Amino acid sequence: MSSAMDMQNFNIINDPITSEPKIIARDVNVFYGASQALKSINLDIGANEVTSLIGPSGCGKSTFLRCLNRMNDVIENCMVEGRINLDGIDIYNSGLDPVLLRARVGMVFQKPNPFPKSIYDNVAYGPKLHGTVSNKDELDERVEKSLRRAGLWDEVKDRLDKPGTGLSGGQQQRLCIARAIAINPEVILMDEPCSALDPIATAKIEELIDELRKRFTIVIVTHSMQQAARVSQKTAFFHMGEVVEVGETDKLFTSPQDDRTQGYITGRFG
Amino acid sequence: MTDNTPHIETGPLEINQALLKKRNAREIRFRLYGLSAVLTAIMVLCLLLTSIISKGYTAFEQTYILIDVRLDTETIDPKGTNRLEDLAAASYKSLLRAALREQFPGIEGRREKRQLYGILGTSADYDVRDAVLDNPKLVGTTATIAVKASDDVDSYFKGYISRDVPEDNRKVKDLELIWLDTFQADDRIIKKFNVDFFTNGDSREPEEAGILGAVIGSLYTLAITLALCFPIGVLTAIYLEEFAPTNRWTDIIEVNINNLAAVPSIVFGLLGLAIFLNFFGLPRSAPLVGGMVLALMTLPTIIIASRAALKAVPPSIREAALGIGASRMQTVFHHVLPLAMPGILTGTILGMAQALGETAPLLMIGMVAFIADIPSSMGDAATVLPVQIFLWADSPERGFVEKTSAAIMVLLAFLVVMNAIAVILRKRFERRW
Repeated sequence: MSSAMDMQNFNIINDPITSEPKIIARDVNVFYGASQALKSINLDIGANEVTSLIGPSGCGKSTFLRCLNRMNDVIENCMVEGRINLDGIDIYNSGLDPVLLRARVGMVFQKPNPFPKSIYDNVAYGPKLHGTVSNKDELDERVEKSLRRAGLWDEVKDRLDKPGTGLSGGQQQRLCIARAIAINPEVILMDEPCSALDPIATAKIEELIDELRKRFTIVIVTHSMQQAARVSQKTAFFHMGEVVEVGETDKLFTSPQDDRTQGYITGRFG
Repeated sequence: MTDNTPHIETGPLEINQALLKKRNAREIRFRLYGLSAVLTAIMVLCLLLTSIISKGYTAFEQTYILIDVRLDTETIDPKGTNRLEDLAAASYKSLLRAALREQFPGIEGRREKRQLYGILGTSADYDVRDAVLDNPKLVGTTATIAVKASDDVDSYFKGYISRDVPEDNRKVKDLELIWLDTFQADDRIIKKFNVDFFTNGDSREPEEAGILGAVIGSLYTLAITLALCFPIGVLTAIYLEEFAPTNRWTDIIEVNINNLAAVPSIVFGLLGLAIFLNFFGLPRSAPLVGGMVLALMTLPTIIIASRAALKAVPPSIREAALGIGASRMQTVFHHVLPLAMPGILTGTILGMAQALGETAPLLMIGMVAFIADIPSSMGDAATVLPVQIFLWADSPERGFVEKTSAAIMVLLAFLVVMNAIAVILRKRFERRW
């Protein structure tokens, strides 16, 4: 795809220029039974940058996030229409196995949810599951590398055999990030990863997100506009199941184009 | 954000004293109701246990009479081979009878003699034989051997038969009392721990009757029940809870499972009789069929308990596993099932305990027969503990009263052990997340 064509595309949907879109969503509709949660979403996610999704509760930002690794599949009555491409492959209609998709698109959840197993086993589970390591040494190496990247290694290296659930909330969330990056995904989805954490743990996670951006494409749902401003390069504002406005984070927060965006970021609703 | 809520002026909180007093009184009353309910329950339990134990503890003892038996070589080992097989084959009954006649000379007449022999248990000669087999050197000597007393004599020495009762209504007659007094005066009456109660099968004679046959029958039956309903129950629960879509069919299945759990157990017995025995022609009275019937009865319990345990595993664990690229089956078997296992096992053990105490369905498939042999396979005719209790409670002999209570104690001991295991499993493997 040439950059001229890209520009054209983005102009149609009022999206600022994204030179290397990793994920392209076009005309995505999501229904929970009879009620429509997402209405004709068009959104591009740039590679190796942080895109934050903001918006009031129930606006569909988490739903959109969960479309990106087909986590909505397990929800009954949930129907996804439209096209979502990951590196040019339609993740819904090309016969791609959702299990393989989720190995490429990792996810971190709102509440830290380490398995009730040892710290080591938490991180080693993914590589073992996908057979991406061939022996114990490689696995050890992978676990250490993932924990280092998640900035947790120094805190847990002496107690890898202790249960992951015994860590503090912030550490647990970083353990979950380490678990997600242990299988070398290309994209990491984060669903309000700091909402259950205190400000210090939040600051650590935000630092980590900035660090991870170099290797991974990150999409983060957040309720905190300050957080979106701090960590993301692009921001998409969702409202009532629609994308109201997408843009460079700086621009969106300083000079929003839409009244609804203006209203939300100045705190008039939401 | 600005706070636009208008400030409402309120006076200091006024408390209506009468209302407060009433409310507090109600709290206290409710607590007292609860306390009295608990106390009532404990009292009833104590009453039950006291009654069973006080009636049953004597069954663990058996009265023996020490008798000098002349073990002459002529009768026991006429050929002098001294081989154990020959010693075992000899007739010790006549020796024992001779010893009794010697002890009480002057007993003439068939009736008196029979009465005299009757103070010993029907298989007292085995006690003599065992003594000889233990120590073959006794042959040719006169040895003092402890032999089992009959059930009536046993009851008399345990204080269940009073001398004050007129002779006509008394199981131990005057003449027998004279003999027994003589024995007692010589210190020949002893009480031993009743090993036979734990090693014998059922018998028509209370002093010979034991619980082992019923225990083995119960174990075989429970093994079949467990082997059938654990895998089926757990797989059903996993499918319904983790994989099945919610629609009208699964709703119907769920309602039916819940209803089956409330079906009276005797209905399952009739079903077993009609299908397993009459249609498939499986053996009557066998633990195999008993286990199958109890499995039908226990399945709903296990399915319901397992589903509750699976439901209690937080969805975040499933999301975590799915999010990392585990398939749904891997999610269930690597994470959800291990976390639900303590709950599933607790439910299973409680279901098993229920099956262990079940009588009615087994009556329908013929496990109520009198079976003296200890079953050696799943297809042998057998009985189970609660049915044994039922049979003994129904027997007229005085000696079976204490056996009944003792069997209840054995059954309760099994139940307590099983429930304790359930509690321990729950405590040990309980996870916090």
